[in-house]
Amino acid sequence: MQGGSTGIGYGLKYQARCISDVKADTDHTSFLAATLSLKEENEVHLIRLSSDGNELICEGLFSHPNEIWDLASCPFDQRIFSTVFSSGESYGAAVWQIPELYGQLNSPQLERIASLDGHDSKIRSVLWWPTGRHDKLISIDEQNLLLWSLDTSKKTAQVQTKESAGMLHYLSGGAWDPHDVNAVAITCDSSIQFWDLRSMTKTNSIEHAHVRNLDYDMKKKYTLVTADDESGIHIWDTRMLNFPFLELPGHAHWTWTVKCNPEIEGLILSAGTDSAVNLWLASPPNGDHLTSESLESPTRQVDPLLNSYTDYEDSVYGLAWSSRQPWIFASLSYDGRVVVESVKSHLPRK
Amino acid sequence: MNNNIVGMEANMEQLLDKIISVQSRSDGVNTSLFEKREHIEKLHRTRNLLRKVQFIYDLPTRLGKCIRSEAYADAVRFYIGAMPIFKAYGDSSFQDCKRASEEAVGIITKNLQGKVFSDSESIQARAEAVMLLKQLNFPVENLKVKLFEKLEQFLVDLHLESKEIAHVSATLDGPNNHGNVTDPASSAAHESSIHEFAEAIRAYRVIFPDSEQQLVRLAQDLVNMHFEAVHRHIKKQLQSEDLLEMLRVIWSDVLLMDEVLPEAAISDFSLVAARNAVKEYVASTFSHLLLGITGTIMKVQDRQKVGVEEEYPLQSVLEASKKAVIQGCMNVLLDFRQLLDEKLELSLKLRDLTIDWVQEGFQEFFRKLNERFLFLSGKSNSGSQDLSLTQGVQGEKVLPGLVLLLAQLSLFIEQSAIPRITEEIASSFSSGGARGYEYGPAFIPAVICRTFRAAGEKCLDHYVRLRTQKISVLLRKRFTTPNWVKHKEPREVHMFVDLLLQEFEAIRGEVKQILPPELSRKHHRTDSNGSTTSSRSNPLRDDRMNRSNTQRARSQLLETHLAKLFKQKVEIFTKIEFTQESVVTTILKLCLKSLQEFVRLQTFNRRGFQQIQLDIEFLRTTLKDTSEDEAATDFLLDEVVVAAAERCLDPVPLDQPILDKLIQVKVAKTSEQNLNP
Repeated sequence: MQGGSTGIGYGLKYQARCISDVKADTDHTSFLAATLSLKEENEVHLIRLSSDGNELICEGLFSHPNEIWDLASCPFDQRIFSTVFSSGESYGAAVWQIPELYGQLNSPQLERIASLDGHDSKIRSVLWWPTGRHDKLISIDEQNLLLWSLDTSKKTAQVQTKESAGMLHYLSGGAWDPHDVNAVAITCDSSIQFWDLRSMTKTNSIEHAHVRNLDYDMKKKYTLVTADDESGIHIWDTRMLNFPFLELPGHAHWTWTVKCNPEIEGLILSAGTDSAVNLWLASPPNGDHLTSESLESPTRQVDPLLNSYTDYEDSVYGLAWSSRQPWIFASLSYDGRVVVESVKSHLPRK
Repeated sequence: MNNNIVGMEANMEQLLDKIISVQSRSDGVNTSLFEKREHIEKLHRTRNLLRKVQFIYDLPTRLGKCIRSEAYADAVRFYIGAMPIFKAYGDSSFQDCKRASEEAVGIITKNLQGKVFSDSESIQARAEAVMLLKQLNFPVENLKVKLFEKLEQFLVDLHLESKEIAHVSATLDGPNNHGNVTDPASSAAHESSIHEFAEAIRAYRVIFPDSEQQLVRLAQDLVNMHFEAVHRHIKKQLQSEDLLEMLRVIWSDVLLMDEVLPEAAISDFSLVAARNAVKEYVASTFSHLLLGITGTIMKVQDRQKVGVEEEYPLQSVLEASKKAVIQGCMNVLLDFRQLLDEKLELSLKLRDLTIDWVQEGFQEFFRKLNERFLFLSGKSNSGSQDLSLTQGVQGEKVLPGLVLLLAQLSLFIEQSAIPRITEEIASSFSSGGARGYEYGPAFIPAVICRTFRAAGEKCLDHYVRLRTQKISVLLRKRFTTPNWVKHKEPREVHMFVDLLLQEFEAIRGEVKQILPPELSRKHHRTDSNGSTTSSRSNPLRDDRMNRSNTQRARSQLLETHLAKLFKQKVEIFTKIEFTQESVVTTILKLCLKSLQEFVRLQTFNRRGFQQIQLDIEFLRTTLKDTSEDEAATDFLLDEVVVAAAERCLDPVPLDQPILDKLIQVKVAKTSEQNLNP
C-alpha cells in the first residue's frame, strides 16, 4: 500500500471473522470483535478508539463458550449484542449482555439474556433492526427465518413466527431494511429473497447466485448492495429487480462483505479474500450514454474505487462502519487483526 | 361699274338655270341607270354566294384531298372558314355537307392526335399538330395529361430495365468475377432509351410550353428512381465499383437532363441524392463488415452446437476472425479508395465528404465492434439500449472459449489492425476537412486502441472469472454436501480432484489455441520465491506431519505463515497477461484460494482432514506441470492443508506411507485410464 499503513491496529488472540460497531454507544467509537477458534477459549473484545483517535483500547474482554460466526451489537443498548456460534456439529445463537461495572470485575462473565433456540439447522445470522429501538430480532438458519420478540428487561426471547424458505434454498444471511421495519432481504444459494415480516412470506426475489453478503443503503431507500463470490459488487434498486443498476468490480478473489456508509450515500466498503478492503463511491449511472461515453472519452468516467486498503495479511471477513464517526471503519482479517481506518482523505472534495 | 354689276347678276341667273337643267338631266340619267346597276350588283352577290356554296359543297372532297396530302393546316383553315356557314345553315341546306366535313375533320383530328403521339414525327410537326388541334377546339389538356402519363410510364419501364441490368450484374459479380458490372448491350439499351427520354422532354417543352414544372418533376423522378435502385443495391451489398458504375450512368443521364432542361438544376439535385447514397453506402459497408466479423466469431458457438469435432476449433476461428478483421478492413479501405480515385465530377465533389465519412465510419465501426464484443462476452453493460437482447443472452450461457477468443482478438485489433488501418487512412483518406477543424479528425486511433485494450483485458478477466466460477461450483458442491464432522476414513483420492483436473485440461486446451506461450519464463520470480517456499514449506509440512501436539504446531505455523503471507499475497493476485501460462496459472491460483476459503468454512473430523490432505497431496503431484508459478501453487496447496488442520477438531495427518500408497494407486489408475480411454 502506498504511503504505508495509516490504520490503527489491534490484535485478537485467535482467528476471527466478525466485528460490529457498537451503535448505541454515543460517547465513544467502539467496536465488538469475536474470535473463531475451534478448540481454544473464544473471546469477545470490546474495543474503543481513544479520544485522540490514535489508539485502540481494549475496554472489555469476555470469554464466550464457542467459536463465533456472527456477531451483532444491539442498536439501542450498548451492552447487548447477539452471537451465532458453533462447535463441531452443534450450533446456537444467543443474546448477551455485558455486565455492568465490567471494568472493575476480575474476569467478567457475559450474561446470557436469551438463547435463540428453536433452530433445527445451522444458524447463519442474527439481525437487529438497524435504525432504532425495536423489540424484534430475526434469526436465519439454513432453512428458516425466525422472528423473535425480545424483551431485554425481562430477559426473554420468544419465537413469534417461524417460516421455512423451502428445503432447497440454503439461506446464508440477510439484511433488515432500515427504511422498512417489515422488510428483510435474505441471501440463499441461488437467489436473494425479499420477505415481508408481517405475513412472513416471500414477496420477491432476484435470481442471482452465490451472494455472500448484502447491505441496504442507510441513506437511500430501495438501494441494496450485494457482494458475490466471483462477480463483484452489484447495486440494486429494489423496485426494479431485473438488473442491478450498477456493478463494481469487487475484489481479485471473492468479495466477502459489503457495508454501506451510515451517512454518505453511495459510499461502500467491501472486504475480500484477496486480503484487501476497497472503498467505493457508487454514483448512479447518468442516463443512457454509458456505452458511447466509454469510447468517446474513457477518462471522463470516474473510477468508483476511491481506495484499496491492502495492508492485510489474510482474508478480510469482518467490516464495520462507525455510526458515531461515519468516516471511520474497522476491519477484521482472519488472522485476528483489527484495523481501524479513516476514509476522510479519500473522499472526493465537495 | 353699276352696269357691270347689273350685267353680272343677269349672267349668274343664266348660270343657275343651266346648272339646274344639268342636274335634272343627270338625275334622269341616274334614274335610268339605277335599275341596271341594281341588277348587276345583285348578280354579283349571287355569284359570290354561289362560289361559297360551291366551296361548302366542295369542302368534304377538299378536306379529303388535304388528308391524303397531309396538308392538315390547310384543312383546318378550310374547315374553320366554313364554320360560320355551318353554324348558320348547317341544320338545313348544308346538312349533308356538314356531316361529310365533320367526318373528314374527325379523321383529321385523329390523324393529328396520332401525329402528336407519334415519336417518329418531328417535334415541329407535333407541335403544329397540337396547335391545330387546339384550333379545332380539341381538349389538348387531356392529351397533355396522357402524354405525360406515357412519359412517366416510359420512365418506369426504363427503370425496370435498368434494375434488370443491375440485377444481372449483381448475380454476375460473385466473389471471383466482380467488376464486369454492366454488359454492354443493356447499357447501350439504357443509353438509347435515356436519349429518347431526353428527346421527349425536349419535345414536350416545345409542344407544351407551360409544362416545365411537370418536366422538372419528371427529371427529378428519373434521378430519384436511379437512386432508389442504388439504395436497393446498397441494401443488398454492392462494391464501390458497382456503385461507381451506377453513379456514372446516373451522372451521364443527369448531364443529358441538364442539357435539355437546365431549369431543373438536376445536377444539384442529384448531388444531394448522391451524397446520401454514398453516405449510406459507407455506412452499409461498415455494417456488413461488422456482420461478417461477428458471423465469423460466432462460428465458435455454432460449431459447438453442431458438435463438429476439430482439433483446434478455437484456433481456426481465431485465425478466421483475425483475417476477417484485417482483410475486411483492408477490403473496405480498398473499396473506398475507388470512390476517391474516381474522376467523375460527382465523386470529386463528394471527395472530402467521403473521406470524413470513411473516417467516421471506422470510428463508429470500432465502437460498435467493441460493443458487440462486450455483448457477446456477456459483459454487456446493462445500461445499454438493448436490454431485451442482453436478457436473452444472459439466459444463454456464454462459452468461455468465445470470451477468450474475444480477448485475444481485441488485443489483435489494438496491436495490429488499428495501426495498419491508421496507416492506410493516413495515406489515402487524410485530406478530409469538410468536418470543421474544431472537431478534429473523425478517426482517432488512440481512443480505439485504448478501448480495445480495455476490452481485451475485460474479456480476459471475464474468461478467468467464468472459468473460476465453474470450478467454484464444483468446489462448493464438494464442500457443502458431505458432513465433514462425520467423515469416514479416506480410501482414495476423491473424484472431485479428477473433475478439477479435467477442468484445467479443458482450460489448457482452450488457452493453447488462443494465446501465445510466454516467450521467456520468468525464472527470476520462480527462483526467488522458490527458495523461500522450499525452505519454509517443507519443514513446516514435516512439522505438521510429525507433531502430535498440533495445537502448538498450529500457532507456530500461523505465525510463520502470517509473516510470509504478505509477501506471497502479492504473487497470488497478479495481473493477468495475454499468455497461456499466465492465464492458466491465474485460474489455478484463484481456484486454490477458493479451495482454501471453502475449507475454512467447514469443521472437519480427523478423517475429513485426512481426506483433504490426501486430495491436496495428489493435486500437488499433478499440478506441478500446470502452473508456471510453482512457488505460489505450492504455497496455496499448503495453505489449504493448513486451513483444514485449523478447522479440524483432531488434526492428525495421514501417515506418509499410507498417503504415498493411496497416491500411487491413484496415479496408476489415472495413467491406466489415459492409456485406455
